[in-house]
Amino acid sequence: MPTLTIDGQEVTVDAGTTVIQAAEQIGINIPRYCYHPGLSLAGRCRMCLVEIETFPNLQIACYTRAQDEMVVSTTSERVLSARQSMLEFLLSNHPLDCPVCDQSGECDLQNFYMDHGQYQSRFLENKVKKKKAFPIGPHVILDQERCILCTRCVRFTEEVSKSNELGVFNRGSRSVIDLYPTKSLDNPYSGNVIDICPVGALTEREFRFKCRVWYLASQESICTGCSRGCNISLDYNGSRRAYKAGGRRVMRIKPRYNPDINKWWICDEGRFGYGFIDTDRIETPMQRTTSDLEPSDWDPALARVAETVKAAYSEKGANGVGVIVSPQLSNEELLACRELFVEKMKLTNVAALNPWEEPGEADDFLRNADRNPNTKGVEDLGYSGDAKAVLEKAAEGEIEVLIIFRHNLADGEAGKLLEKAKFVVYVGTNWNATAERAHVVLPGATHAEKDGTFTNFEGRVQRFKQALLPIGDSRNDSQIISEMAAKLGYSLPASADEIFEAWKGISLDELSGSGSSVDPDTAVQA
Amino acid sequence: MPIVKNISEFFGNENARSLKWRLEHGGYESARKALREMKPDEVTETVINSNLRGLGGAGFPTGRKWSFVPKGTDKPKYLAVNCDEAEPGTFKDKYIVEWDPHRLLEGIIICSYAVGIHTAYIYIRGEYVRPFERLEQAVKEAYAGGIIGEKVLGEDYKLDVFIHRGAGAYICGEETGLLESLEGKKGWPRLKPPFPALVGAFGCPTVINNVETLSHLPGIIKNGAQWFSDLGCERNGGSRLFALSGCVNKPGVYELPMGTPMKELIYEHGGGILEGRKLKAVVPGGTSSAVLTAEEAEMATLDFDCLAKLKSMAGSGAVIVLDEDVCMVKALHNIEHFFSHESCGQCTPCREGTAWVFRILTRIVEGGGTMADIATLKNLGQNMGGTSICALCEGAAMPLRSFVSKFEDEFEYYVKHKRSLVEDRKRNAVAV
Amino acid sequence: MSASFEFTPENKKRFEEILRRYPTKRAAMLPSLHLTQEQEGYISPEAEQYIADLLEVPVVDVREVVSFYTMFTRNPLGKHHIRVCESLSCWVRGSDEVKETLEKELGVESGGITEDGEYSWEVIPDCLGACELAPMLQLDGYFEGNLTREKVVELLKKQAASKTSGK
Repeated sequence: MPTLTIDGQEVTVDAGTTVIQAAEQIGINIPRYCYHPGLSLAGRCRMCLVEIETFPNLQIACYTRAQDEMVVSTTSERVLSARQSMLEFLLSNHPLDCPVCDQSGECDLQNFYMDHGQYQSRFLENKVKKKKAFPIGPHVILDQERCILCTRCVRFTEEVSKSNELGVFNRGSRSVIDLYPTKSLDNPYSGNVIDICPVGALTEREFRFKCRVWYLASQESICTGCSRGCNISLDYNGSRRAYKAGGRRVMRIKPRYNPDINKWWICDEGRFGYGFIDTDRIETPMQRTTSDLEPSDWDPALARVAETVKAAYSEKGANGVGVIVSPQLSNEELLACRELFVEKMKLTNVAALNPWEEPGEADDFLRNADRNPNTKGVEDLGYSGDAKAVLEKAAEGEIEVLIIFRHNLADGEAGKLLEKAKFVVYVGTNWNATAERAHVVLPGATHAEKDGTFTNFEGRVQRFKQALLPIGDSRNDSQIISEMAAKLGYSLPASADEIFEAWKGISLDELSGSGSSVDPDTAVQA
Repeated sequence: MPIVKNISEFFGNENARSLKWRLEHGGYESARKALREMKPDEVTETVINSNLRGLGGAGFPTGRKWSFVPKGTDKPKYLAVNCDEAEPGTFKDKYIVEWDPHRLLEGIIICSYAVGIHTAYIYIRGEYVRPFERLEQAVKEAYAGGIIGEKVLGEDYKLDVFIHRGAGAYICGEETGLLESLEGKKGWPRLKPPFPALVGAFGCPTVINNVETLSHLPGIIKNGAQWFSDLGCERNGGSRLFALSGCVNKPGVYELPMGTPMKELIYEHGGGILEGRKLKAVVPGGTSSAVLTAEEAEMATLDFDCLAKLKSMAGSGAVIVLDEDVCMVKALHNIEHFFSHESCGQCTPCREGTAWVFRILTRIVEGGGTMADIATLKNLGQNMGGTSICALCEGAAMPLRSFVSKFEDEFEYYVKHKRSLVEDRKRNAVAV
Repeated sequence: MSASFEFTPENKKRFEEILRRYPTKRAAMLPSLHLTQEQEGYISPEAEQYIADLLEVPVVDVREVVSFYTMFTRNPLGKHHIRVCESLSCWVRGSDEVKETLEKELGVESGGITEDGEYSWEVIPDCLGACELAPMLQLDGYFEGNLTREKVVELLKKQAASKTSGK
């Protein structure tokens, strides 16, 4: 365990730690471009040069191992002058087209230049022209003039996605990063190159010119794309409405570092799969009056559900009402459902999983075939029955009222059974065929619009936080259940925080941290 | 000091390429002696004591370089022979390979035996077509003659020698750029440590030696360490090949003891300056060395330490003579064109710096320079120094700093008058 | 552009021999590309893919290598290729004159091919390692030195004559 001194502060680090990492441990952020902790060391941007006593030349902090009694300066005159000089070199051929660059505002060229630049340009030559702003894949645009050749993207395609679409061609100042001509940057993880590009060379096609990043607010969340539970940030319009986004609120999704789950990465499906939050939403409760579904206030809609349930219950007892919850629901919502439907009402036909669901594509990196964020939560909370048995009973008329959360059960074999169900209540976020044939539709909130936890496939309970208000009249599902319960004569807590605390003995805030998780059995913070 | 013939003995001799002839003229006797009579460590010891230094450019003591290779490793060890001589002004290794390839092969055997190496790759620059053909022929004959292969010189020692052709990249003369190229990649120099002696070719311990360095080994083994070190001056053992070119009457390769006065090389062996003109400057060790003024050159001796004292370097032994008719602005423009063309593009200061410097110089040469450009050039010379993975950027900065500071009057004149001072002088002389 | 590329049977044998020199397949990259260029005159995208498959490396890696080294060309050259050295030692001895002569005699600029496809030529800033012959050029790989305007003209004439005499 070497102990070294960085800018006068002593720090003891594990053997093998590099100077850049050691500095991070005491809150010193050494500027860097090519270094990325998730990629092999390149050592070529020369931005992280530091002065180390006994070394005649400046050394790159990303590659130099911390050693006992090392004395490092990250702010000496020589270091600052070298940084200024590297920035001058990097900007010499950079187009400085910041006003039309989506990276503007979160660009490390801009940021480091603010700190260390020399402001006065001495570069009198014409800038070298390279290929500008062309799509290299379904999600990514490349601008070679903005590129500083740090090669993070190239190393990503070699080492992480292992797809090898990108290379560095030619040499010297004629070097360019480009696709092999017949290839396209079209792999399940292509979007990550946008995040790791420290400048505006690789930008997102979906996000292009939609919003300036300084208008974005960001909230910690969990990807709902599969059972992995990748940690993400939801970037949404905060202080100002996006002027080119057609009223969209969520503008993009970025991976959030979690060393145990997704590290720095997410898959493209997760990254670009946020459209449902702002499109085809069920915005208000609906009731079928004669033949059509018509908008309704919450109170009459819930009252109708409660009356129908009560009637079925008095006629057929605990068998008369069926419930199909969903692995799309949070643990808190599943707990609320369990308390109401299983513990209080003692219903016998309660199921969660949809046996007809098509598994998604899986790989040995992040993507799991189970496209639900909370299947493990469903299992851990004791839900066992499958939707087929419940649907069959509904079709046979044994179940009078069927309450379906989230699932679409209107297609194929399920659809044929569902057609025969007498009375269907649909609780969900987006319109689908099941909602369209329901008798009462109750609009729920997406994960972007509420608090809660999901349990990933390994059993990690992870928190997601509310970024947005529920769209239209939609409501947090635990609130819907609480209100439904009230109409049925039970008292249930409505807030996720209360439910979680009753479950785990700690508050949601104690769980959160940055992407931390607890084991569901021990409730110990990871 | 007189010309010596340690390794240049057979230059120009059409017979010396044939194995048969060469065996009749002392070929492989030293290798046989090493294999039969010496322990590997004794060979290394002898080379250390001879003060032989790497003659590719860096001048690192050869025996010490070998001693860094771990002894008890299970991994194969490799020898990479650096014949990628591409430093402008350098053409000496070509002479060895073209005229006396068996001397090189003998050196390869001695080095391999000392270090415990069983595979050697000769990395020869792709532009060397005839040298490659001659070398290939020599290797073929050596295999056929039982010199190398399963039983080297009939002894129980296996050694394969393969030739690997480069394809046009100066940077592959840098040790780790060479290894990358050998492994089938772009010649991007590696981050160090680890050094090649521990992790070199194919992840294994590797010795990288220059052609000329290895070619000295037969002589050292034959005549002893003392003989070699006595030839040169202190800490600069033996003789070395000097590739003399530029404005001299007799350009060519001359083998001289280390420490020979530079003016002896230029005026005696090189036959003096073209058309009796005056010496203006000397580039003493390839274009990445700092230029010397005529006065400095007159004082200099040809060895690593003297040239280091003059803040230049002996480098590859390529001595380029510039006379009074050479415009130093255009000469620097020429040199920096080379470096910007040959920068591999990895490190920021080299990729951007060499190109920027070349473009400023181009603008000055085309008559568009300003006085501020001269200050910028000086400053870039500082900023490019010592901040990259390899020495190429420093190699571009050395001539930049020295040309501009030592011949500042020419740069200022060029900027002010949009013409070359030297060419104006010539024109005026003609007019008069 | 050739629709497909593969080594001739003889070159396949040479390739197999090359592979045996190295502990990895990838190390055969430069020799394989030399062989390709020798056979085809240049390195086509099809040849890049062929080499990538043979060496079991991503094709993008082959392109990186081809574009890094100046001796590899992705475009066909003239039947004879001339490279003029303009490094320092050649420049002080008159490489500009060699350039001007070639430009005039061949009627195309550096980097071009003559109309009859006979010659392509280029000026290169790299030192070709024959400064004792300065100024010099490389004709189909071989060095020609101590050039003057007259010698360059003569050299081209000789080359043309050897062609008509069927040599």
